[in-house]
Amino acid sequence: MKFSRRDLLKAAVAATFLPSVSRTSYAADWAALEAEARGQTVYFNAWAGSEPINAYIAWAAEQLEARYEIILEHVKIADTAEVVRRVRDEVKSGKAEGSADLVWINGENFRAMKAEKLLFGPFASDLPNFKYVDTVGKPTTLIDFAEATEGLESPWGMAQLTFFGDGAKISSPPKSMAELVEFAKANRGRVTYPAPPDFHGTTFVKQALIESITNQSFLPLPAEKEEFARAVAPLFDLLDSLHPHLWREGKQFPQSQAQLKQMLADGELLMALTFNPNEPANLVASGELPGSTVAWQHKAGTIGNTHFVAIPINSKVTAASQVVANFLLSPEAQGRKADLKIWGDPTVLALSKLSAVETKFFTSGKVAGSVTEPAPAIPEPHGSWVPLIETAWLESYGT
Amino acid sequence: MRKWLTSFGGFLPLGILWFCPLVAGLLAVLYGARGGAAWNALFEHPQIWPALALSLATGTISLVISTLLAFWIVAGVYGSKLWSGSSGLMGGFLSLPHLAFAIGFGFLITPSGLIARVIGTFAGWVEPPQWTTTQDPLGLSLIAVLVLKEVPFLIWLIGAQLARPDISQMLRGHFRISQSLGHGSASIWLRVFIPQVLPRLKWPLIVVWFYGASVVDVALAIGPTQPPPLAVIIWSDLNNADPAINARGTVGALFLTVTLACLALAFLVLQKITLPSIWNILTRGPSPGRTPKMTSSALLMFFCVIYAMVFVILCVMSVGTLWPYPNLFPTQLRWSAWELFAISPAPLLNSLSLACASTLAALALAIFWFETIPEKMDAALLACAITALALPSLLIADGQYLAFLHLDLSGTWFGVFLSHLTPVFAYVFIVLKGPYRAFDPRYRSVSLGLNTDKYRFWSSVKIGMMKPAITAAAAVGIGVSIAQFVPTQLIASGRMTTLPIEAVTLTSGGNRPLMAVFALMLAVVPALAFVAAARFGRKTL
Repeated sequence: MKFSRRDLLKAAVAATFLPSVSRTSYAADWAALEAEARGQTVYFNAWAGSEPINAYIAWAAEQLEARYEIILEHVKIADTAEVVRRVRDEVKSGKAEGSADLVWINGENFRAMKAEKLLFGPFASDLPNFKYVDTVGKPTTLIDFAEATEGLESPWGMAQLTFFGDGAKISSPPKSMAELVEFAKANRGRVTYPAPPDFHGTTFVKQALIESITNQSFLPLPAEKEEFARAVAPLFDLLDSLHPHLWREGKQFPQSQAQLKQMLADGELLMALTFNPNEPANLVASGELPGSTVAWQHKAGTIGNTHFVAIPINSKVTAASQVVANFLLSPEAQGRKADLKIWGDPTVLALSKLSAVETKFFTSGKVAGSVTEPAPAIPEPHGSWVPLIETAWLESYGT
Repeated sequence: MRKWLTSFGGFLPLGILWFCPLVAGLLAVLYGARGGAAWNALFEHPQIWPALALSLATGTISLVISTLLAFWIVAGVYGSKLWSGSSGLMGGFLSLPHLAFAIGFGFLITPSGLIARVIGTFAGWVEPPQWTTTQDPLGLSLIAVLVLKEVPFLIWLIGAQLARPDISQMLRGHFRISQSLGHGSASIWLRVFIPQVLPRLKWPLIVVWFYGASVVDVALAIGPTQPPPLAVIIWSDLNNADPAINARGTVGALFLTVTLACLALAFLVLQKITLPSIWNILTRGPSPGRTPKMTSSALLMFFCVIYAMVFVILCVMSVGTLWPYPNLFPTQLRWSAWELFAISPAPLLNSLSLACASTLAALALAIFWFETIPEKMDAALLACAITALALPSLLIADGQYLAFLHLDLSGTWFGVFLSHLTPVFAYVFIVLKGPYRAFDPRYRSVSLGLNTDKYRFWSSVKIGMMKPAITAAAAVGIGVSIAQFVPTQLIASGRMTTLPIEAVTLTSGGNRPLMAVFALMLAVVPALAFVAAARFGRKTL
C-alpha cells in the first residue's frame, strides 16, 4: 500500500478539523453518546447483493429510528473497495463531510483503511454490548485476516467457507480439494468457482492454497514477494489439475457467488459455495433450492473469518455510528440475524454469556440444508497474500 | 458592445453548466494520468492486450454488422407500407436501454435460458446443455446485443436523413434518372443513395463504434470474463481500494480513448484512399437487380420478434419468483419483487428527478443558445457535442469524479446532475439544431408586422411550431439520462442510487425477479417519454 508522507499529513490536518472526532471520542459516557446521537443520520455502506441482508438492515433501521431516533440509510454497494477509495479521496481532498458513516468491512479493505489511518476509534471494546462477544471461542473477532482489529472495527457476524448442492444428485460430497478434483473429473463441466478478485473466488483459492502446501507456518505472516512464487507452486499444480474439468473447461468463470448460486438452482452446476454456512438452509427455506439440498465443509476444516462494521475517520456522526454498531451487537439484533428465516448469519456472541431471556432470541435446531458435520474454522492467511494470489491467478488463468 | 454582451450572455450559462464540467473532467484525467508508474502498471497488466483486442473487436464488428443490416433493411422496405410503420417502431426499440435489453436477452440464450428450455422440452434434456452462450470468450453474445440495439438506432438515423425535405427531393430525382438509365433499385441504393447518406452518418457511426468498444454495464451483464473487455478492467480499477490501481484505471481510460481515436483517424484516412476503388469494384456495369424486399422484411420481423420476446421474458421473470430449469413457465408467480421495488422507490425517484432536471436544463440551454448566438457558431458547439458523445463515458466520468471531488460536488445531487447534463445536452442540441435553425424567418416578419412584441411571438408562435422537435428532443434527453450508469455510480459516491445502478448490482446479485423489475423500469420511463412526445408533440399552430 503506497501513500506519501504528504497524504498522511493532509489526513492528519483533515482529522484535526473534524470536530466530531475530538468531541465524541471513545464511548466513555454511553448515555451522553446516545443523547448526542439522537436525530443523526448514519449512512451505512453495506454490500447489497442479497435481499435477506437488505431486509435485515431495513429492520435494523426501523428499530434504530424507534429506539434512538437515528436514521439509518443503507447505501447499497457492490464492492466495499469503492468505499475505501471514496473515503481516501475525500480525506485527501479535505472534504469536510464524509459520505460514509459506517462500513461493513473486513480483510484487505480493513487492512488498507487501518494502515492509512482512515478509521475512527478505537471504539469497539467500549461498546456496552461488546462484553457478550465470544473473543475466546471465536478469536477472529479480534484478529481480522491476521491483522489485529485494535478496536477499530466492531464484530458483526461469522463466516466459514461452505459448499452445497442437491443431495439427490450428489451421493458423497467431496470433502477435500483432492476429492473435489476427482468429483470434477467425474462430473465434467458441472463444477466451478467465481473468478478472483471476487472474494468468494479468492477464498476458494486460499482454501486450495492451505490444502496444497505442507508448511503453513508462514501463512499468518506478511507475504514475501520473492518467496511467494516458490511457496505457492503446489497451489497452481492443484488448480492446473482441477481446471480442465471445470465449467467451460476452466477458461471462463462466473463473476460472482450469486451467479454460481443461480447456476446451481438452474441445474447448470452440481455444487456452489458460500461464506455463510447457513445460506443453503436459508435458500431451502425461501424455496430457491430443493429440500434435498445438503451443505458440507472440508474434513480438515475450511477458511473462516469474522465480518465487522467500522467508522470512517471523516464521519460527522460518530456518536450515532457507535450506537448503531452497539445495536447490531445486541442479543436481539444478533439473534434475528442468525435466524435462518431472516438472514442466517452466524452470531459473534457467546451464547454462554447471555442471560436466559437473551438466549431466547436465538432459535436453533437442524433444518434442511444446514451443515451436517461442522468442521473447524481455519484462520485466514495474512491479508498481504491476497493481492499476490489474485495477480498470480490472473496471470495463469486470466488470458 | 451590446451585441458582444448578448453573445457573451448566450455563452455564459452553457459555459458554466456544460462546457466547464466537460473540460474540467478531461483536464482532471490528463492530470491524473501524468505519472509514469500508472502507465507501467497498465502495460504490465496480464490481461491488457487480449482485453484491448476484445474491446476493439467487439466494437468494430458490431458496428460493421449493424451498418450493413441497417442499410439492408432500409433499402428493402423504404417507401413501402412497412417503412411508414417502422419509424415509430424504431423509436420504441430505441427507448429500451442497452442494459435492460442485455438482461432479457441473456435469459433467452443462456444455457438454462428459454431457448435451451424449449429445445430441451422436445429433446428430453434433464440438465441444461453445456453451451457457451453468455459470457463467451469471443464476446459474440456482447456483439449480438450491440447489433440488436444499434440497428434500430441506425435505421432511425437513416430514416431521419431520408425524411429531410431537401434530401428526399434530391433522392427522388436521382431515383428517376437512374431508373430511366436501366438501374434496378438495388443498384440505385448501392451507387446513389448509400454514397450520399453514409458520409452524413460519419459522426453517429463513430459514436456507435466507440460506445461498443467502451461500454461497461452491458459488458458486465453479458460480456466475456477471462479476459473481459478493457472497459471492464478499467471499471474495476477505478473502483479499487488501492490508489495506485485507481490511477491505472484513469490511465487505462485515456489509453483506450487514444487508441480508438487513432483507429478512427486511420480509418478516415484509409477510406478516403481506398473507398472509391472498392466502390468501383462493387458497382461495375449496370445492374437491374432489385432490393432484397423479402429478406429485409424478414429481418425487420426478426427484430420485432426478439424485442417482443425480451419484453415478455422481463415481464414474466419479474413475477416468476420460482422458475427452475427446465420449466417453460415459472412454478410460482408472486408480486414480491414489485412490492420490494415499491417499498423503496428512491432509485426510480432519483432517476426521474435527474432525467427531468437534466432534460429541462438541456432544452433551456439549447433554446437560449439558438436565440442568442448566430448560426455560424453552431458548428463549433456541434463539434464539442459530438466529442462529448464520442469520448467513452468512462473517461469523462472518471475525470468529472476527480474534478468534482475537489469542488465538493461528488456525492451531491447537483454533481450527478451536471454529469448527466454532459451527454443529455449534447443529444438535445443535435436533435434540436436542424428544426430550430430551419425555422422560416418570414413568420417573424409577419408577426412583427402585426405589431406583436418579440417575446409574444416567441412564446406563442415559435415555440408552438417547434413543439414536435422540442418534445422529441425531450424524450431523447430523458432516455439518455435514465441509462447513465458509469457517471452516476462514480459521482453519486453511493449517496444516491438510480435504476441502472440497482440493475447492474442485481446482475451480480442473483435476484432474478427484482433484476427484471429494474430492467423493465429502465425501459418503461423512456418509452413513456417517447409516447408522450408523440402524443403531445403535435404542432399547435
